[in-house]
Amino acid sequence: RYVRQLQRLQLLFSPTTADARGARQFVEEAALDFARRHPDVVLYVSPRSGPAPLLVAEYLNGTVREELIANKTSEEIVQLVTKLAGQSGLDIVRIRKPFHTDNPSVQGQWHPLTNKPSALTVQGPRLQPQ
Amino acid sequence: MVLLSAPRWLRSRLTDRFWRVQEVLKYARHFRGRKNRCYKLAVRSVRRAFVKSTKARREKKRFLRALWITRIEAASLEHGLKYPAFISNLLKSQVELNRKVIADLAIYEPKTFKSLAALAQRRRQEGFLAALGDGKEPEGIFSRIVHHY
Repeated sequence: RYVRQLQRLQLLFSPTTADARGARQFVEEAALDFARRHPDVVLYVSPRSGPAPLLVAEYLNGTVREELIANKTSEEIVQLVTKLAGQSGLDIVRIRKPFHTDNPSVQGQWHPLTNKPSALTVQGPRLQPQ
Repeated sequence: MVLLSAPRWLRSRLTDRFWRVQEVLKYARHFRGRKNRCYKLAVRSVRRAFVKSTKARREKKRFLRALWITRIEAASLEHGLKYPAFISNLLKSQVELNRKVIADLAIYEPKTFKSLAALAQRRRQEGFLAALGDGKEPEGIFSRIVHHY
């Protein structure tokens, strides 16, 4: 069954500054819909009289991702929030290989003596197999 | 921000310069010499590094294929077969494995590779018999072609 990796979303904004206008509109209009559609994500809305408005997303593996939402419209914040809800908490780096195994070799990895006859099987003029 | 009259724009100052410079320098941190510290030298070096990495993506495919071929050649020589004989006989026996997979088998599954080499050798002998024998000998077993349609 699908387990959503996003644990909680903290929406920190100020009720007066101009760049938090999109955040305030989001809280008034779309936050309830988002919370209803994603029941396993906890949404904390805390107004604070601090610096720029911030959206903090915490994931089940502990990664915390902070996004600035200053001067963004309500629709843009909705898109951002749905994108964060679909992500897992893994770091966004280039994956070097799309595959990984802990046991790459079943028959035993090649070493220089794999295909050489051993002293037990050598048939020479004097050496006898033991 | 739209400034309406000319003398006013002289009062706006660039405050971001540090971060704009760091955006470039962060890609130059592992370089050698002054180009990992000085912005003017780093800009040129970083641009050349990006261009080279873009062009090298085409070369990487060629390079890796040559690496696989070298490894398959070394492994098949251990079993007494040369690379062209190995690959051509494997294709004639309808074993369509690419060089990457055969190279990985040669490293991690040596017994499987030995059996592939034995298959190629057997198909080679059957090919020789079919070409030189010209008699009433039966056709080779491994020379039969299976149609999958």
